[in-house]
Amino acid sequence: MRKPDSKIVLLGDMNVGKTSLLQRYMERRFPDTVSTVGGAFYLKQWRSYNISIWDTAGREQFHGLGSMYCRGAAAIILTYDVNHRQSLVELEDRFLGLTDTASKDCLFAIVGNKVDLTEEGALAGQEKEECSSNMDAGDCVSPRAPKQVQLEDAVALYKKILKYKMLDEQDVPAAEQMCFETSAKTGYNVDLLFETLFDLVVPMILQQRAERPSHTVDISSHKSPKRTRSGCCA
Amino acid sequence: MMSIKAFTLVSAIERELLMGDKERVNIECVECCGRDLYVGTNDCFVYHFLLEERPVPAGPATFTATKQLHRHLGLKKPVNELRAASALNRLLVLCDNSISLVNMLNLEPVPSGARIKGAATFALNENPVSGDPFCVEVCIISVKRRTIQMFLVYEDRVQIVKEVSTPEQPLAVAVDGHFLCLALTTQYIIHNYSTGVSQDIFPYCSEERPSIVKRIVRQEFLLAGPGGLGMFATVAGISQRAPVHWSENVIGAAVSFPYVIALDDEFITVHSMLDQQQKQTLPFKEGHILQDFEGRVIVATSKGVYILVPLPLEKQIQDLLASRRVEEALVLAKGARRNIPKEKFQVMYRRILQQAGFIQFAQLQFLEAKELFRSGQLDVRELISLYPFLLPTSSSFTRSHPPLHEYADLNQLTQGDQEKMAKCKRFLMSYLNEVRSTEVANGYKEDIDTALLKLYAEADHDSLLDLLVTENFCLLTDSAAWLEKHKKYFALGLLYHYNNQDAAAVQLWVNIVNGDVQDSTRSDLYEYIVDFLTYCLDEELVWAYADWVLQKSEEVGVQVFTKRPLDEQQKNSFNPDNIISCLKKYPKALVKYLEYLVIDKKLQKEEYHTHLAVLYLEEVLQQRASASSKGTEATETQAKLRRLLQKSDLYRVHFLLERLQGAGLPMESAILHGKLGEHEKALHILVHELQDFAAAEDYCLWCSEGRDPPHRQHLFHTLLAIYLRAGPTTHELAVAAVDLLNRHATEFDAAQVLQMLPDTWSVQLLCPFLMGAMRDSIHARRTMQVALGLARSENLIYTYDKMKLKGSSIRLSDKKLCQICQNPFCEPVFVRYPNGGLVHTHCAASRHTNPSSSSPGTRT
Ligand SMILES: Nc1nc2c(ncn2[C@@H]2O[C@H](COP(=O)(O)OP(=O)(O)OP(=O)(O)O)[C@@H](O)[C@H]2O)c(=O)[nH]1
Ligand SMILES: [Mg+2]
Repeated sequence: MRKPDSKIVLLGDMNVGKTSLLQRYMERRFPDTVSTVGGAFYLKQWRSYNISIWDTAGREQFHGLGSMYCRGAAAIILTYDVNHRQSLVELEDRFLGLTDTASKDCLFAIVGNKVDLTEEGALAGQEKEECSSNMDAGDCVSPRAPKQVQLEDAVALYKKILKYKMLDEQDVPAAEQMCFETSAKTGYNVDLLFETLFDLVVPMILQQRAERPSHTVDISSHKSPKRTRSGCCA
Repeated sequence: MMSIKAFTLVSAIERELLMGDKERVNIECVECCGRDLYVGTNDCFVYHFLLEERPVPAGPATFTATKQLHRHLGLKKPVNELRAASALNRLLVLCDNSISLVNMLNLEPVPSGARIKGAATFALNENPVSGDPFCVEVCIISVKRRTIQMFLVYEDRVQIVKEVSTPEQPLAVAVDGHFLCLALTTQYIIHNYSTGVSQDIFPYCSEERPSIVKRIVRQEFLLAGPGGLGMFATVAGISQRAPVHWSENVIGAAVSFPYVIALDDEFITVHSMLDQQQKQTLPFKEGHILQDFEGRVIVATSKGVYILVPLPLEKQIQDLLASRRVEEALVLAKGARRNIPKEKFQVMYRRILQQAGFIQFAQLQFLEAKELFRSGQLDVRELISLYPFLLPTSSSFTRSHPPLHEYADLNQLTQGDQEKMAKCKRFLMSYLNEVRSTEVANGYKEDIDTALLKLYAEADHDSLLDLLVTENFCLLTDSAAWLEKHKKYFALGLLYHYNNQDAAAVQLWVNIVNGDVQDSTRSDLYEYIVDFLTYCLDEELVWAYADWVLQKSEEVGVQVFTKRPLDEQQKNSFNPDNIISCLKKYPKALVKYLEYLVIDKKLQKEEYHTHLAVLYLEEVLQQRASASSKGTEATETQAKLRRLLQKSDLYRVHFLLERLQGAGLPMESAILHGKLGEHEKALHILVHELQDFAAAEDYCLWCSEGRDPPHRQHLFHTLLAIYLRAGPTTHELAVAAVDLLNRHATEFDAAQVLQMLPDTWSVQLLCPFLMGAMRDSIHARRTMQVALGLARSENLIYTYDKMKLKGSSIRLSDKKLCQICQNPFCEPVFVRYPNGGLVHTHCAASRHTNPSSSSPGTRT
């Protein structure tokens, strides 16, 4: 097993679609899922880096495992369901605290999933998916409802998190860049979400490597003493 | 969920051996170290058995335990735990909260009586930090509340090294290096007893379910988690493997790579650490101990001891493959990498990849199959051999044993489904085509290419020809028979050609053109054959088919001679004489060939030129004879004839003139006279006989081509004279004369012309001529003047330079040194360079002979 270079963790209430998002991204499909037990992870090769992506269980029973999964994480995806306001509330009340173990420069993304079920989401995805014709998906039976959670709510949460982490808005990616509305069902914004994060995580890996003392001695980059001397004289 | 048989449960110690018929005696704990098996009971006995493993050819090994000894520890308490420290030859026995050391062989307590008191439970550090091989590191949970203690245990003494107090009561402990993994009342933590730093792992309610802490590999532990999870955690407090999902009431866990095994009151369950799936469930009632000892997994009830014998990995993988669970088989195989020596692993893994490839292949999952064949470095012939008749009869190939798949051939695999069969064939085609040029093909290129040829031929695939015209290893006899069977005669010809049997190839193609055999591959096969012969090095073959190609078409057929690559022309039988004699029967071809010699190759041989001219002439005459109306316009052949007569200087003029006699070809006669230098005569014919003034003018031009201007002038004057000689009565000729003068003013000597002209002609009439002549003469005059001026000024420049050089005097004194040898001048003789540098005369002379010395001109 290759050791991953970095870790991304999906957090959020049960049934918001964490597993579905990950399956959509990794396997390009939207299969039936069962509520996750414990957790699972995928290894994603991005450029030359191995990034592990952990899918956690939203069920209350497994809540205690969250801190461990988040330990040392480079990025955390906080997921809610745009049709359930409570799922956004839970992010702040229940899940934010789990992220204390994450790496100190951890990135946060806030993701509102299942936009395909909302009126506007339906419009956006209409050409692609004919959901109304097949009645198999339980979430499809209800007529399109107005979205319960707006993107601004997510942005507000994002800013709150920065306060909580005592981070300066200048030092982190902008809220607009890190708040997503997705649909695991249609694939809407899913690639964008993950790949935005990968691209942000790669420089962190490089920085980490630079900070950690190398275990191998690089004889080729040996600096001549002359250079240091001239440095001190100048 | 599909299961797999990973372990078999076999009995190790029958209950009779332990307790006979004593009902109340229970097994409390077990320890196994190599072949030594120890059992502790609730009536304070320790038993020592020797475990004998007997392999059974097909099936799991069986075990027999022979009792060596048993000893009562002298208390009325149960023996809680046993651990062997084989390096010290000691068994650590926990009984009545005290760990005593006994000899592993005779079970006698150490004479020193060394012991650790106040221990509720203990664990050995399997990744010790002390570095002393004659001591083990023991960690105990103390009977003192919230206390952990670390001891070093030697052969006959113990030494406490550390005491750690914990925030809650510890219930279970495992040690790795400096890290303690602890189950506390409400959570698991990792504690580094060297730095004192603790880290929470996750909360866990030990009141609901028993905690489990089990070290699985270096720096990694397995813990019982909420909801029946088996959680993995490293010493850093993170998880690197996804959890496995046990039942809610697991009481013990063990590891036997790549499986984690869990025990609850009814079952033993086996999960894979590689994909977290549950792989096997074994019913096992009332089990209360599950432990692994250096890879050997032991379970026990209170009455009996059993061993979980792992099935050999290969067997497990084969089982998975047999049920087409390719993905799982590969995961398992890959996971086994570090447990198997590298060489052996590679052989095994390759074979598994190949088998998996065939499974995918049989399901027509060609992409996957291809990838597996590639990575498994499959001997392609295994695949080819599935297809009936594709391998050459001479192939030495036999399928690997044991077989990689269960199929006799493609018919069986597809069950006769033609569509599937076609798909399989298409796959093989593309696969072979891909691998034939890679190293995979090394050693059996013949088999691959022959198979590919057969597939192409059968499928009527275009690539058949590409295969045969590029480098290939198709076996001749096999391929030939197959091509014949599929009526691919053209391709068969290519095959013969590739195998240096050009005669057979050409004969076959000729048969196709002649209609003796049918093959419509090429509609232009005749041209192809001509082309082939043109480049064919086999002279005899070319001669053999020369008549055939010429009979088909003289014009095209002659190409075998005319387009033949040049350099070999000299030293073989394709010399012009041979060819000409061959072409006797084919006049059109002969003309083409002579044209080739005379015009294209510019052979300067009288014979060919004359011959060609004669042939042209004959044809012209023939055309004349046949054409009903004596058309005046020149035919194409006539044009060619004229061109030849004009351009060539080699043919026999008199001979041709003779042939022309009375033929009524004045133009041609004129040209011939011209060739003889009889310009007067020639022009006479043109002017008087033909009355073609344009032709006459033209004659003057081509006849003087490449000759000096006086010659040309002479011709024009001759023509003019002819025009004028006829006298003013013949009006037409006068006009022609005027036109000639006006058009070619510069070709004449104007002064001479004016003498010749009749006085009656007006200046008006000759205006263009006169103007042209004037302009020409003025132009000549001016050009001369310019040249003169330029010459004068050049002369002036040289005079100036000379003056300048002579102008100033040069002082030669003792102080002046020669610029070359740096010595003073002793005589008043020196050489001065244009830049002013002075040198000795002898130095200047030697400088010219010795170019390496520096030039004085560059000195400053
Ligand atoms: N319409 C719609 N349904 C979705 C979408 N994403 C997930 N679902 C459905 O929501 C349900 C829950 O999805 P999961 O991916 O299992 O949710 P989860 O967050 O992993 O849940 P836990 O594992 O219990 O934490 C499933 O029935 C999915 O089919 C989506 O984008 N649109
Ligand atoms: Mg899930």
